[in-house]
Amino acid sequence: MAALRRIANLFRRNRVDTEIDAELQAHIDLRIDANLAAGMSPSDARRNALVQFGNVTATKERVAGADAALGLAGVWRDIRYAARQLRKSPGFTITAITTLGLGVGINTACFSSMDAVVLRPLAVPDLHRVMTIAEQPSHGDYQPVALANYEDWLRQSRSFESLAVRTRADMSLTGAGDAAHITAALTSASFFTVLRTQAQLGRVFTDAECQPGRDAVVLLNYGFWQRQFAADPTVLGRKIELDQRAYTIIGVMPKTMQYPSVAEVYLPFAPSSQQLADRSKHDYLVTGRLRDGVSVQQAQAEMRTLATHMAASYPATNKGWSVKVESLLDDINGDMTPLYYRLVMGGTLFVLLVVCANIANLQLARGVARRPEIAMRSALGARRWHIVRQLLTENLLLAVTGAALGVGIAALYLRILLITMPANVARYIPGWSNTSLNGRALLFSLVLAAAAGIIAGVAPAIGALRVNVLEQLKAGSRGTTGGSRRRMRSVFAVAQISLAVALVVGAALMSKGMFSLLHLADEYHPANVLVFNVTLPEKSYDTKQKQATWYDQSLERLRALPGVTHAEVTAALPYSDNGWLQDLEIQDRPAIPGKFQSALHLAVSEGYFETLHIPIVAGRGFTQSDSFDSLPVAVVSERFVARYFPDQNPLGHRVRLGGTNSHDPWLTIVGIARETNYSMWMPTQEAAVYMNTAQMPLEGATYFLTTEGNPTSLAPAAHKALAGLDPALPLDGVETWQQSIHEQLTGLMHAAGMLGIDAVFALLLAVIGIFGVMADLVGERTREIGVRLALGAQRGDVLGLILRRASWLTGAGISIGLVLAFLLAHLVANLLRGVSPDDPVVFTVITVTIAAAALGSSWIPARRAARVDPMQALRAE
Amino acid sequence: MAKNDLQGTLDLLVLKTLDQNGALHGYGIVLHIQSASNDMLRVEEGSLYPALHRMEQSGWIAAEWAMTDTNRRAKYYKLTATGRRQLQQAEESFDQLVKGVRAVLRYA
Repeated sequence: MAALRRIANLFRRNRVDTEIDAELQAHIDLRIDANLAAGMSPSDARRNALVQFGNVTATKERVAGADAALGLAGVWRDIRYAARQLRKSPGFTITAITTLGLGVGINTACFSSMDAVVLRPLAVPDLHRVMTIAEQPSHGDYQPVALANYEDWLRQSRSFESLAVRTRADMSLTGAGDAAHITAALTSASFFTVLRTQAQLGRVFTDAECQPGRDAVVLLNYGFWQRQFAADPTVLGRKIELDQRAYTIIGVMPKTMQYPSVAEVYLPFAPSSQQLADRSKHDYLVTGRLRDGVSVQQAQAEMRTLATHMAASYPATNKGWSVKVESLLDDINGDMTPLYYRLVMGGTLFVLLVVCANIANLQLARGVARRPEIAMRSALGARRWHIVRQLLTENLLLAVTGAALGVGIAALYLRILLITMPANVARYIPGWSNTSLNGRALLFSLVLAAAAGIIAGVAPAIGALRVNVLEQLKAGSRGTTGGSRRRMRSVFAVAQISLAVALVVGAALMSKGMFSLLHLADEYHPANVLVFNVTLPEKSYDTKQKQATWYDQSLERLRALPGVTHAEVTAALPYSDNGWLQDLEIQDRPAIPGKFQSALHLAVSEGYFETLHIPIVAGRGFTQSDSFDSLPVAVVSERFVARYFPDQNPLGHRVRLGGTNSHDPWLTIVGIARETNYSMWMPTQEAAVYMNTAQMPLEGATYFLTTEGNPTSLAPAAHKALAGLDPALPLDGVETWQQSIHEQLTGLMHAAGMLGIDAVFALLLAVIGIFGVMADLVGERTREIGVRLALGAQRGDVLGLILRRASWLTGAGISIGLVLAFLLAHLVANLLRGVSPDDPVVFTVITVTIAAAALGSSWIPARRAARVDPMQALRAE
Repeated sequence: MAKNDLQGTLDLLVLKTLDQNGALHGYGIVLHIQSASNDMLRVEEGSLYPALHRMEQSGWIAAEWAMTDTNRRAKYYKLTATGRRQLQQAEESFDQLVKGVRAVLRYA
């Protein structure tokens, strides 16, 4: 409190002064009154009062001193002094503030984005206490939960204060313009209890609504509400039609609750008694909030114990299954996103370090000019602490101004980021739309700026302490050279170069990796291919026959469109990471316990191989004679053969996908297709089993149309052709294959772009840094150079002398930088397929480029040195 | 160990005065200390006012402007709760000082 009052007093010094005057005057007046009352003459009364009081001015000063604690007044004075000093050297000040602004700006932007996406993607209170609970088979990845198991957990587990279940449904929204395919999350009412969230508008479900027959209510996701209903606040009570059933809108979820991110609407989950008793369909996602005082490990242990009991009670379905408890945050973020963010954040902080080094360097250069000033202040009685404080204040003032600029830059950057992110990518990133410059980001930028100010200020301050007052004053304004100061500047230049090398190499490797990913699918000419997804609603396509007929007819119509050369359908396109990995059985070959057999389930239409130019290396591909009634056949990939039929002929063998409970028929292998990659990210590809959509139709599939000319112009025609067959069937994600690949890589492009910006900026600063050091060096050695030239040195020798020094600095910087770069490269290589951490081309090209840039920037001061006129240089002394 | 010095003693006198008299202006404090000490103690204005302002900044006393009996505007000070605690400490501290000094004098 007292401190606050003192600070307040600083700003109303005038008022305080007047008040003190009035108070002291009142004292004197009161004594005059008393003296008069005692019978003194007016003039005596007055004189006596003044004499008794003593020196009014001195007292007033001391009172004012007590009001405004001296320390704080001193800080204010330092700030004003610093501002004056900075105004005096506008070149330095502008450079420093701009670079700091950029440094702090990109850091703040990066942090804001990371904060929104990775650190707090959902506005859920105590997010770290919310867990996802999955079932873990003895082999393979963890899986969703069977409903009867969830019901048991609900009754028996003690670790969670609430548990919720949900599943997902693809539905058609009809009765509002074009039929649209939407994704619904079917959730228990407790879902909102677990997340401790309320509807932004209206209300969430009640338990009563989660029962069959009473569940015709719907909650809208914020994004969907905006897109479909233009954020109309009067939607409550309106009805929408999903899969031909009317639902009443009861609420809208808040913008900060994009979870699950794919969900456009939330519907009450009203399971039938049959579903409730099912222990084999692993279709349900379970979340829970830990009870107070229960740790993740305790919850995990309890759930494992429950799983063991359940395995004993229901061996047929539960044997070998355990449970995995994981924090919801980890589940949302996945493995890669936090790593990308950390990489980019790290790179960006690196840049800030380069900025600090640059400012420190500039400050040291300014230090020479300021020596007389500092010496004068010391001579006039300023203590060392005062001078250091003054210099630090100056840097902090720079830093804070830089931070203000930085916040502006960050706001601009985020704006661009939000605009450029494709909407159908952003939708799947929970928290993306929350990206904003919030309090945490502002605090972060302030802390960074203060740290930057101090880091950049320490070296010059230490330099200032070394000033020898007597020598300095004797030397006058000419200034003597300081070896240690120049050493320090050299160290900063080397540090800048090495950080820049590391960043540039990291960014280059990442861009190279990204470029190769972008062009992985080039052999298929993805720019000429139109793709879209169709999901057949269960209700109207309830038999395999109906589904097969749909594919047959729809492809026929699409192939008839002018401009379309091929129209095919597949479960997954190459590099799409969309394929389903399923358990594999091979007939007459009993499964070996503990050995997990799996293959990608790839249903494709008949002309798939021909359209994508995938050769059939043995046997045959699919033909028109493969129909719903003929023998179900399969084509397998080369990797499949290598893995499951090494040195054997697989043709004629029969396989089945989907595990022991599968109702699918056995498929007879009739051909082997050339190996094709279905994943962009996985280092090793899976074995694949292709089947014919005419025999094994899918509920949802990707259509792809190869075209002559611009594929997107065909989209309306394709839309119309399919609407002619079934107007209620929505098409999803109509775009070129190329666009779809770009969207897959958006996150990575963002990361690579950020790192690229970092690298360019760091390189620029490093070049400025070495230029500054060399210019400084030439300036200081002008006299020496003059003497050398006068004694007969050649201009070339002088040029060589300066450039040798520059080479030495550059060489040291690059050597350290390469070591750093190698470490960074290993990190990038772990994140990205196709990046080799010891890519000789990248390393060589960048080393040469940076060396050239650094030496090039030294060329100007070196030439100035070579042109020194010896007469003038010597006369100047 | 008693912590005390001359400034501390002035603070003690002022705080005690305000404790006994309620709100007083600076001149009133000077008069009270003078009369209560039978003219033995005279407080210098040059020391009193800085001390008053320092104590106000520290929150021991609060001030407000009011009219005197003679119809002049003057700044009145009164003790705050913090000030009362401070007074208690200062009194104890002073007692110890006096005891300490006495003990030394007796010894000599």
